[in-house]
Amino acid sequence: MTGTADGHGAATVPATAVGAVPGPPAPHGLGVSVPPLDSIAKTQGVFPYAADLWAEGLLWAAVLRSPHPHARIVSIDPSAAAAMPGVRTVVTHADVAGDAAHGRKVLDRPVFATDLVRHHGEPIAAVAANHPDTARLAATAIAVEYEVLDPVTDPEQAFSAEPLHPDGNLIRHIPLSYGDPSVVGDVIVEGVYRIGRQDPAPIGAEAGLAVPRPDGGVELYTASTDPHADRDLAAACYGLPPELVKVVVTGVPGAMGEREDAGMLLPLGLLALRTGHPVKLAATREESFLGHAHRHPTLLRYRHHADAEGTLLKVEAQILLDAGAYADTSADALAAAVSFACGPYVVPHAFIEGWAVRTNNPPSGHVRGEGALQVCAAYEGQMDKLAAKLGLDPAELRMRNVMATGDLLPTGQTVTCPAPVADLLTAVRDEPLPPLPGDDADESEWLLPGGPDGAGDPRAVRRGVGYGLGMVHMLGAEGTDEVSTATVKVQGSVATVVCAAVETGQGFSTLARQIVQETLGVEEVHIAPVDTDQPPAGPAARGRHTWVSGGAVERAAKMVRTQILQPLAHKFGMSTELLTIADGKITSYDGVLSTTVAEALEGKELWATAQCRPHPTEPLDDSGQGDAYVGLAFCAIRAVVDVDVELGAVRVVELTVAQDVGRALNPRQLRARIEAGVTQGIGAALSENLRTSRGIVRHPDLTGYALPTALDVPDIKIVKLIEERDVVAPFGAKAVSVVPVVTSPAAIASAVRAATARPVGRLPIRPQSAVVHDERR
Amino acid sequence: MCQSCHVQAVSTYRTAGSRDTGDRGRGIWLTTHVPHAAHTVTLPRSLDEAVAALTAMPAAVPVAGGTDLMAGVNSGLLRPAALVGLGRISEIRGWQYQDGHALLGAGLTHARMGRPDFAALIPALAAAARAAGPPQIRNAGTLGGNVVTSGPTGDALPVLAALEATLVIVGPDGSREIPVSHLLAGVEMLRPGELVGFVRVPLLHAPQTFLKATGRTGPGRAIASVAVVLDPARRGVRCAVGAVAPMPLRPLDAEVWVASLIDWDGARGLAPEVRAAFGEYVAAACIPDPPAPEDGAHEPPPLPPAALHLRRTVAILARRALGRALA
Repeated sequence: MTGTADGHGAATVPATAVGAVPGPPAPHGLGVSVPPLDSIAKTQGVFPYAADLWAEGLLWAAVLRSPHPHARIVSIDPSAAAAMPGVRTVVTHADVAGDAAHGRKVLDRPVFATDLVRHHGEPIAAVAANHPDTARLAATAIAVEYEVLDPVTDPEQAFSAEPLHPDGNLIRHIPLSYGDPSVVGDVIVEGVYRIGRQDPAPIGAEAGLAVPRPDGGVELYTASTDPHADRDLAAACYGLPPELVKVVVTGVPGAMGEREDAGMLLPLGLLALRTGHPVKLAATREESFLGHAHRHPTLLRYRHHADAEGTLLKVEAQILLDAGAYADTSADALAAAVSFACGPYVVPHAFIEGWAVRTNNPPSGHVRGEGALQVCAAYEGQMDKLAAKLGLDPAELRMRNVMATGDLLPTGQTVTCPAPVADLLTAVRDEPLPPLPGDDADESEWLLPGGPDGAGDPRAVRRGVGYGLGMVHMLGAEGTDEVSTATVKVQGSVATVVCAAVETGQGFSTLARQIVQETLGVEEVHIAPVDTDQPPAGPAARGRHTWVSGGAVERAAKMVRTQILQPLAHKFGMSTELLTIADGKITSYDGVLSTTVAEALEGKELWATAQCRPHPTEPLDDSGQGDAYVGLAFCAIRAVVDVDVELGAVRVVELTVAQDVGRALNPRQLRARIEAGVTQGIGAALSENLRTSRGIVRHPDLTGYALPTALDVPDIKIVKLIEERDVVAPFGAKAVSVVPVVTSPAAIASAVRAATARPVGRLPIRPQSAVVHDERR
Repeated sequence: MCQSCHVQAVSTYRTAGSRDTGDRGRGIWLTTHVPHAAHTVTLPRSLDEAVAALTAMPAAVPVAGGTDLMAGVNSGLLRPAALVGLGRISEIRGWQYQDGHALLGAGLTHARMGRPDFAALIPALAAAARAAGPPQIRNAGTLGGNVVTSGPTGDALPVLAALEATLVIVGPDGSREIPVSHLLAGVEMLRPGELVGFVRVPLLHAPQTFLKATGRTGPGRAIASVAVVLDPARRGVRCAVGAVAPMPLRPLDAEVWVASLIDWDGARGLAPEVRAAFGEYVAAACIPDPPAPEDGAHEPPPLPPAALHLRRTVAILARRALGRALA
């Protein structure tokens, strides 16, 4: 680990300043829109991702996946495949040297299916061959005899079905009970909500390269977002001590949480260890859809009680998460769903029962906003129903119930962080509405639902305005040990950051540069590429790295700063607090001392390593109570939609966003993250649903799985960023990416409800749910 | 970045900065498809040369835009032994006029058909071409490819069905013409060595419309599509519905009925109720009720909600398409 980068490897971030602008000094420091260094390489197509890796004498891998969602494996005969010319080896469950089971939270998932397959696409065997086509052909030549079983695809049936797994079908049950169950409101509204299966659909499919080492170990080059966890999984699977497995993080082509499919990564290392050759795999889009984890399809039943003025009294809810065949992070998703089931509203009495159950559907796991997105769509649907029943404006009803700092969550936890929900709602509500094309307006300029030159008819279009208020937690919850370690080195006028926080596109490397620039006054900051020889920094999810890794980088930089300043302070007989560093210069408060950082270093190289560990949390108890979260983030979105009420086509006209960000460390990056999050939410609201038919994935391709295009994404107006610093967070900054994902589907559904007066209880919104039936027909 | 010197990143896109050394064997590793990929790619410059190439290599597959074929090749589903590229045959990349018809080259791209000069000739085909996908697909995909692939959601197909287009097929034994519907329905197939050279389309000098419902505002696969063309010379209305069946469907009774109500010598307009009834007529013809049980004791089972919604969608598309054609 040298920390410097030489420009030809699989970089997370090219260390040379590719994007350096000549002329005046580039923007630097905190609160400034520092541009990312890798953007030019990425837009030119020369940024290397895992799929671009190559090694001398490499072999290609292919994974055989189950065509059935539920079947008993009678026999596996790889002899025909192994005998094919060019095939080097075939591995099955019998070749797994170490632990046969792996998983994110619970070790319940086999590397290769042994006697049972539990979902469509479950890995059964893997092949290494001298050509990718040979490997794929050989994988299909492995003779597997199945005894096909009836799949359990309805999560409601999972309770009574035969156990699909030795651990049983119930992964977690949380019966949250808060307040007095006997309370009854003047007004009661009920609703049923169903949320579909969103796929993270990373723009680059999974890929990796495994290279055997002379010492019997193996190196895995892949776009891991949690390299140390992946290393530990791999080491356990191979029966090796963790120090013999190294995960090297390559360029990440899009990530929404845990990115790489362990079912693909683990076989890769097995094949490399067995053949003694480097082995590469680049997944097809179909394998990608089948292999990685999806958002939990969720069934929610709600009953809201309110008084005649619209003040919420009690919320009762049942939340059922379809976890797929394996536990993965479903327990966390369920905790988030139950904890945030009432939304950012004051609810004195809440009875929320949540279950995560096993089915033979595609696997569910961490996709950003898990749990929180599903309940947001449901509780906002309830707020709309309540407003309709009381004859109140939906925004006004929400305003009467919003939460503020000091209020309690239904988990009994006090909201101690800034919670400016009322300000956020006011900001989006008071923003002028986009003009409605009137009779005199030029209708040809109006982009109708159905697209340009489409089937849209202005006479059938109705406009609706809706609101969504969302909340998420940041960092891991329920007692997860959240920690990150970072090292900062400075030599001459160049600083280097070594931190195993993966740059997934979220902008951590830019942020780390800004932090070091700000603290050490050094403009040129390199971010070392990530591997597991570095201390762990944890997964790149839930805005963790802004908080824990950003905090660790800041502490390490401050330690280096002290090391630079202390000799000077000693020499001049003043304390280090009286010295400032800016633009590479060290000056004292009185101007007597003025030198450069490079001179002060006197050729020395200074290193410091620091950790950031936020204050601990506790698991939810048997009645769903506990201080389970470190920090919360809030967002308000107003959606304006046009609905062709005959065809049920929906076009989002405008989304107005106000968000609680703590502090904007890089305003342009922050806005980009919000726009990206809102866009993912548009997909969840309108088109993204990985459909299955009796457990079989129907369209594992990007034609059948419709991501939002540029025409589907409207103007996203970020009208207010509330910078109220969160005192416990480093820099006071909150994670920004997740909460817009959670909130925008609810806002869009609310707007469709306003346009059509239909209940719209299902996401993504199906055209038939947005059709207004004309009584004359 | 990899500290191990034995692993390096290579971009599959060669750029000015990348090393392009004579290191033997590297090229093989870089391209994933070399040993199994087509050994022969022929690029004929005329239809005759293309037919000769196909006749000489019966296993060869013709490729035009490649938007369907290459997806299969890239995913490993197709491994053509040889390819005959049709992109350099200039005679099929334009169109000519022939006794009241346009003879459209099979190599016309969707992008070309979407332009205003083409839209003035055959408006519905131009509208279908503009709706056929994102610009990358429209720039590559061709009319002939759309016909030969015969995908249920091919956007040009209902328009060709409504226009009662014919295909000019060239082969080793000369050329022949078949109605497009025969190929789409599988009544007549392309024989070995044959290619679709041209599509003959009548020039009707009257309004035509093509409307399509998709799952998003951006370009997407059709859930249902409707083409309506007016033929004032024959006092006919022709309509075809795409994407709801493996091939475009023609609601002939509905066509005849609505044509009989139009005042062809006058203002051609129809009352909203008539247009709506036409839509219902078309939709019921294309998505019929399930047959009643044979014993006659029970009512026929109702259509499932998804089919009812599809029928409703077709009805509205047909109503709007007719309305716009008569406007």
